[in-house]
Amino acid sequence: MPKQNWKEWWEERLGLESIFSFLRHKEVPRHKHTLWYYTGSAILVFFVIQVLTGFLLLLYYKPTLDEAHQSIQRLISEVPYGWLIRSIHHWSATMMIAFVFIHLMSIWLLKSYRKPRELTWMSGVFLLFITLGFGFTGYLLPWDELSLAATKVGTDIPRAIPLVGPWISELLRGGADVTGETLTRFFGLHVSILPMLIIFLLGFHLYLVQKQGMSVPFQGELKKEKLPYHSFWPNFVLRESIFWLILFGILITISVFFPRGLGNPADLLAPTPPGIKPEWYFLFIFQTLKLFPATILGISGETFAILFILAGVILFFFLPVIDNRPTGRKGQIITWAGVTLIIYALVMSIWSLL
Amino acid sequence: MKFKDSLISRRKFLNGVLGGWLAALGATIIQPVIKFIFPPYQEPEEVILPAAEYQLNQPNSFKVFRWGNKPGILKRNDDGSLTAFVAVCTHLDCNVTYLPEQRKFYCACHDGWYDEQGRNIAGPPPQPLRTLEIIEEGENIILRKREKSA
Ligand code: FES
Repeated sequence: MPKQNWKEWWEERLGLESIFSFLRHKEVPRHKHTLWYYTGSAILVFFVIQVLTGFLLLLYYKPTLDEAHQSIQRLISEVPYGWLIRSIHHWSATMMIAFVFIHLMSIWLLKSYRKPRELTWMSGVFLLFITLGFGFTGYLLPWDELSLAATKVGTDIPRAIPLVGPWISELLRGGADVTGETLTRFFGLHVSILPMLIIFLLGFHLYLVQKQGMSVPFQGELKKEKLPYHSFWPNFVLRESIFWLILFGILITISVFFPRGLGNPADLLAPTPPGIKPEWYFLFIFQTLKLFPATILGISGETFAILFILAGVILFFFLPVIDNRPTGRKGQIITWAGVTLIIYALVMSIWSLL
Repeated sequence: MKFKDSLISRRKFLNGVLGGWLAALGATIIQPVIKFIFPPYQEPEEVILPAAEYQLNQPNSFKVFRWGNKPGILKRNDDGSLTAFVAVCTHLDCNVTYLPEQRKFYCACHDGWYDEQGRNIAGPPPQPLRTLEIIEEGENIILRKREKSA
């Protein structure tokens, strides 16, 4: 078949030309905040790495009480490059979460969530929680001492939520305690339920981004002038790919020189080893919980703390509703609140490490 | 379409019937699914330990036993009596350990301390450790869950 016919054959059946032509004409505005656009695709790169290394790990990992730790031990000591694949999976997760935080906060500070991008923000917040869910469930899977203790604490915290708390905790644990049941559950969440959710939400999120085009921070839109732009294909994609390559280089370097270790196997009956800390991205919440006294006004301090955190989460989610001013207006209170949040998280995280 | 004296149209009526039927169908599906995702695990009512293995001749000595999925600690007191603790922190569920030199229970998760009778004395734990009823019966030591109030 001549090439032209071959193209037509597909076009007749798939009708994808409209999508290609959309991408050929897509423009990415150039201004002093263009840099922040790169954070979104960086997350995607790490996501793809997670999926691929996740597939590989699945070839050897065994999600049961008796075999989980052993299978990881074998993976990192016997399987060729097993240690590296696992290390990449760990560090890529770390970097992905870091970029999710950066991405969200840049959008907060530039007020890109304003009309008509409210749903983009909200789906983004859901994506944040799914990402953290991946981190939390994945942390347990190697089944070592630290991961068991962190999961015990992490799944006990929801218990303090009034009414539904104990129910949530039992649902997560698959019973009253963290046991082999929990491991099986977390594995199912990590490799099946969460991936399905993230694909769905990510698709929605990316669709919205294409539909509405890149948000331009207020100064530009105020003047109503046409900004200079990169055409998305191939100019902007090529620029982005430089950034991706740099990130990939950093990722591999860290993974090789700081390989992810494995602690002693978890023992349900052993006392908790000292030095229990959640992963870094939960530290500021961990520290916040610690700050509350045992009881406040007769209610347990934990309940108070968790309600406080939940309120924060709800405000965060509804940010576009709270700040519903038209695009182009400055919002100093919101900026100020965002900066406060960043400083709070940093200070709390560092504090909890001292 | 609506008859002269009827309150609702035929469409509304049919929608209501169909909707109600679907909701009922949904409920009959959801209910077993919710039941399904909570496993039937119960805390043991009692655990029987062979007395020979849990002699604990020295005062202030202790031994760990298995209480369902949790660790328990059986401890010989100075007056010769035994106490059985569920060795799980009342703060956020970490396993605690007994430090005989200091005569205290310690939880490493957030630095929680209990005295030798299991009373919370320092750190975040909000309540004393749970204890179990002990019945010594010839060859066996029977540990039993206390009634709720204790
Ligand atoms: S779980 Fe024991 S002190 Fe927090």
